[in-house]
Amino acid sequence: MSDDTSASVSSIDPIVLILPPRPELSRVARLASSALASIAGCTVDEIEDIKIAVSEILIALIEHGDQRAVRLEFSFDADTFVVVGTTETESFDLDDPDLGLCRTVLEGVGATPLIAVVDGTASITASVSRAITN
Amino acid sequence: MSGQMNNEALSTEIVDDAIIVHGDIDMAGSPVLEGAIIQQESAGHRVVIDLADVFFIDSSGLRCLLAASRRGQTNGATVILRSVGHEVRRLLEITGTTEQFDIQSDRE
Repeated sequence: MSDDTSASVSSIDPIVLILPPRPELSRVARLASSALASIAGCTVDEIEDIKIAVSEILIALIEHGDQRAVRLEFSFDADTFVVVGTTETESFDLDDPDLGLCRTVLEGVGATPLIAVVDGTASITASVSRAITN
Repeated sequence: MSGQMNNEALSTEIVDDAIIVHGDIDMAGSPVLEGAIIQQESAGHRVVIDLADVFFIDSSGLRCLLAASRRGQTNGATVILRSVGHEVRRLLEITGTTEQFDIQSDRE
């Protein structure tokens, strides 16, 4: 953590949240991401984008995964706020139209999604660019 | 609706045949909204949704609205959205679905 007295910090070690695949917990994840983004000094608009990114990641992994726990990892530096969601799955359909809608929304909020399935683990990385501040 | 857990994040009420939505339209809230929409459709009412108290919506919420829009279009009726906030409008614009709805007013 920073040793200065400002309310925000420029970077932090990754923070991990592991959630059961329950839709009502999406709100918990958004609240956590919102708090972290606030600590990171993100603007209100950036925080809104991050909340949408978190929600879309959870939709994709819960609705298209195998109903197993979802791991969310949050990290940030001066340039980006990164959310990585993963879940173990054997049946993740990368071409599902609903997943395409998630991808469209993630791209729309500038979250540059990277969606992959490797060795039975589906992962979605969303990187939200931050405004340059002095 | 499962009835197993209360969804404190989203609730709906019917006022003058319009669905007034309170809360986030997300994965948990969408089924609640869908139930309210289907109830209105079943009663023969045109679907009018007031979104003044909605400050978050994601693609699951959008899918719920688009499904209602598609059902309405088969009957020649467009879903009406009222008091649309910038959060909802932005999602409609991102996904190019604004024209699927009759947006009567923006949130003041």
